[in-house]
Amino acid sequence: MSRRLLGVAIMTTLAVGLTGCGSGGSGSDNTLEIWIRQAPDSDSAKTAKKLADAFTKASGVQTKVVALFDDFETKLNQQAAQKQLPDIVINDTAQLGNMQSQGWLREVDKAGLAGGDKLSELSWKAATGSDGKSYAAPFSAQAFALIVRKDWREKVKMEPPATWEDLSKLATAFTEQDPDGNGQKDTAGFVIPAGTKRGYASWYASSLIYANGGDFIKAAAPGKFAASMNDPKTVEAVQYLQDQFCKSKTVNPGAVSNDTTVTHEVFEKGQGGIYLVGPYVLARFVKSIGTDKIEVLPVPKGPSGGPGTLGEGENVYLMAGSQNQDAQKKFAEFAISPDGQRIGMNKDANGAIVRLPVNTQVDMAAERQDPRWKVFQDSYANAVYAPPVPNWAPIRQDSADAINTVWADCSADVKAAMEQANTKLTQELQSQKAS
Amino acid sequence: MTSTLAPARSRSAPPGHRPKAARWRGPLIAWLFLAPALLLFLYFKFIPMFVGLWKSLFKVQTFLGDEWVGWANYQTIITDDEFGAAIWHSIVLALGTTVGSLVLGLGFALLIEGPARYLWFVRTAAFLPVVTTMAAVAEVWRILYHPAPNGTLNTIIGWVGIDTQPWLGSEDTSLWSIMLMSIWRGTPYDMMIFLAGLVGVDRTLYEAAAVDGASTWRRLRHITLPALRPVFWILFTLAAIRGLRVFVEVYVLTNGGPNGSSEVLMTLIYKLGFQKNELGVASAGGIVLFLATLALTVVVQMLRRRQAR
Amino acid sequence: MRFDSALGLESRRGPLAVVGKVLIYGLMVAVFTGPLVGLLMSSFSKTLDPTAFTFWPDEFTLENFVQAQDKNVYLYLLNSFVVVGFGLLLQMLVSVFAAYSLARKKFRGMTFVMLLMLTTMMLPEEIIAIPLSLVLADMPLLHLNLIGTYAGMILPVGAWGFSILVMTEFMKEVPVELEEAARIDGAGELRIFATIILPLCRPALGVIGVFGFTMIWDQYLLPLIVAPESDMWTLPIALRSLRSDEEVGIGVLLAASLLALLPSIIAFLAFQRQFMRGLTSGAVKG
Repeated sequence: MSRRLLGVAIMTTLAVGLTGCGSGGSGSDNTLEIWIRQAPDSDSAKTAKKLADAFTKASGVQTKVVALFDDFETKLNQQAAQKQLPDIVINDTAQLGNMQSQGWLREVDKAGLAGGDKLSELSWKAATGSDGKSYAAPFSAQAFALIVRKDWREKVKMEPPATWEDLSKLATAFTEQDPDGNGQKDTAGFVIPAGTKRGYASWYASSLIYANGGDFIKAAAPGKFAASMNDPKTVEAVQYLQDQFCKSKTVNPGAVSNDTTVTHEVFEKGQGGIYLVGPYVLARFVKSIGTDKIEVLPVPKGPSGGPGTLGEGENVYLMAGSQNQDAQKKFAEFAISPDGQRIGMNKDANGAIVRLPVNTQVDMAAERQDPRWKVFQDSYANAVYAPPVPNWAPIRQDSADAINTVWADCSADVKAAMEQANTKLTQELQSQKAS
Repeated sequence: MTSTLAPARSRSAPPGHRPKAARWRGPLIAWLFLAPALLLFLYFKFIPMFVGLWKSLFKVQTFLGDEWVGWANYQTIITDDEFGAAIWHSIVLALGTTVGSLVLGLGFALLIEGPARYLWFVRTAAFLPVVTTMAAVAEVWRILYHPAPNGTLNTIIGWVGIDTQPWLGSEDTSLWSIMLMSIWRGTPYDMMIFLAGLVGVDRTLYEAAAVDGASTWRRLRHITLPALRPVFWILFTLAAIRGLRVFVEVYVLTNGGPNGSSEVLMTLIYKLGFQKNELGVASAGGIVLFLATLALTVVVQMLRRRQAR
Repeated sequence: MRFDSALGLESRRGPLAVVGKVLIYGLMVAVFTGPLVGLLMSSFSKTLDPTAFTFWPDEFTLENFVQAQDKNVYLYLLNSFVVVGFGLLLQMLVSVFAAYSLARKKFRGMTFVMLLMLTTMMLPEEIIAIPLSLVLADMPLLHLNLIGTYAGMILPVGAWGFSILVMTEFMKEVPVELEEAARIDGAGELRIFATIILPLCRPALGVIGVFGFTMIWDQYLLPLIVAPESDMWTLPIALRSLRSDEEVGIGVLLAASLLALLPSIIAFLAFQRQFMRGLTSGAVKG
């Protein structure tokens, strides 16, 4: 008897557990659903929530913020398959081509967007598809620069590098002159996320490639692109870094399989002194390493061209199939307004979802006390964005694979490898019908 | 009283009726007991699988609508250079992990066989890797594999005079490093199954062998190993099913790098599907992988049958 | 002379043999638990080197676990427990029912069913992820939406081929005479199942319990698909997210990894006796 009772009890709890906890599908129709590509519970996600709350206050539109980092694309695909895309997506500028080719994006009327004329031209370029139409409202921008251990540089008595040669010398000094003074030769010049995950190797190399006037692909005609990995300037930049890996050995050990998470730690623990990276980690490093120990320097101009550096940013995408088209537009207008931009910048603290404001009316110096941000802002003037091909991810991945190869294998011939990569990119562009 | 009545009635039932009822009743009960499992499999495995099979014939565009492409996705995946390399890596990894775990597992099982209390402790401790979460374990190994001279594993191999290894950081060693971790996790599992098999070995045979004055080696060769044959087949079958599908290990440790030297089928398919958005091609790759696994399992089973004969 | 084992190691005595044994067993324990001990120690350590383990925490701290709270790790842990609790219960029930049928009944199509079970184990989950999400969002015929419900995470793990096959092997071992005797006494099908077969298979329940726990605890894609937002996440998803969170250090990641490891280890240690007995009670003969 008691056993049977137990069985019934178990089945009932199971049934309650299965049905009772259901909260149903995603939100009601009047709520504006906003997805942002940031880790949940991160400071950035909290800033996004702040932005959405301020928007609700200003407009009366209810919002729901979903923060997600890994598998953002997987979840978006899932929503698309269910024909329930979120209303707003705040995501990388480089994702524009991909999302547009999937038919996920609504076109944005640049002239009809209140405040759209106050945004920098460069940022609008990153919101433009290969057909010349705008598919997003620019929201945040960032340019890459060198975060350098100032204390180390002063210890080895060197000036901030003005050329690539200076940069090599600084890296060699960091590697060989024991800048942390612990008596061991356990420091490196560069810390590099040179793994292939998400195409990090290519992402890292791009700043130097742009700084030398090179590129991965070039626009040939509207909507048409041609691979340019074999451009001598590109080859020169990749060669320069291969020399760092192989000849002068100034790169942190294991870099070829690292992603940024590991590389951040390596830099924080003082295992290397030069990190070419975006401004979003500045607050973290200031806190963990010490504000007087780090400085931000622009990427030196390459021997054959430049200046340039990698430009990135986030756009506010208005997703297709939304029931709230009016609210979508209102949110985009709020996000690009000086108020929205200021909230996103989050002063000097961690969690800035607006790294550099795209709205020219926002004075960054008034918002952020740290003068190092200025270096990033100045670098942005020369920043180069990824071109609006239908799908940038495979191009970054293919180029990362090729670049990773020549860094991992010191006997590899850079020129030959880049020729090969060029062929591959050409094929990829063909398969995307963009060549 | 009723309890004696009921069987009496069934015993006195008309002779023609009973076999017919029983013929239907038996299978019906069998299917009823199977129903929950089959229903769950139908909804969460088979329907999705057939949808996947169907999608592999399309250029999948989740929002715009799919576009029929026929066998083109299969053509794309099979002619892809990386696909060939990935198959090779998967096979090497699966084979290396299987053989390594089997040999070490057997060795350790023989070492820790016995009823002693401390052996129980050793067994329990050694089995821990099996029940741990892959994602967490891979994280741990990534740190162990740090390629600098002061990395944990490099320090340890330094004690026995082996040079610093690049581990995951080099094309030549990445796949082997992943294999080493997989063996670490697979060995205790195999060891336990072998232990289970060893219990079934007839003790009197050992005694007879001792009377004959047979060496330990001969005892192993002629009594223990033959008795373990079924265990080998179970482990081979499981290895065939799991081997080609390795994913998390590789994804966390190297994601296929450096230079694709550790790219396996699943990481390649995953990249195609979720990073390049080629869901149709990825589905095709998945179906190919599934068929390969199926074929492999069938081969193992056929070998087993032949052996048994 | 007694032979309890193939090598007969236990009967070897003398100082050399003892030293040899201590060395061998010590090495085994060190190799298999070392990485886990390293993780344990590092997660309590204040200064963390991303490149090397500390096998003794320098400056013991709970900081990493406190920070884990900011990242909601304990909520994810709770979700994991809910899913694994109900999921394992369901999975074990389904497994013993199915195994009873496969092991104790003869019927047409049995080989086919066995084959189906095997094929379910060969399906790469990553491939069926998107189709599965469609099924979950609108179950064919039933028209239920399981996205955003715990049921969506629990039901798909309810049937597991491995568990069913292991259980089947065990149930085959139960002598037919016992069952027939009960049948003659007029016991019904459920009664035979519950009072004769199941009690005899208790060690096997330990085996499928431990493996099932690990399997459900390790689920990654399923909860990711089902959870509309991070508040329904389970630990494995959180682990991956923490790894790519640019704001947190490796300490929190290690603390969360430890939290992810501990429950399966505790579950194993708790059922260890049953589990070991299950494995060694002669299931692996066929």
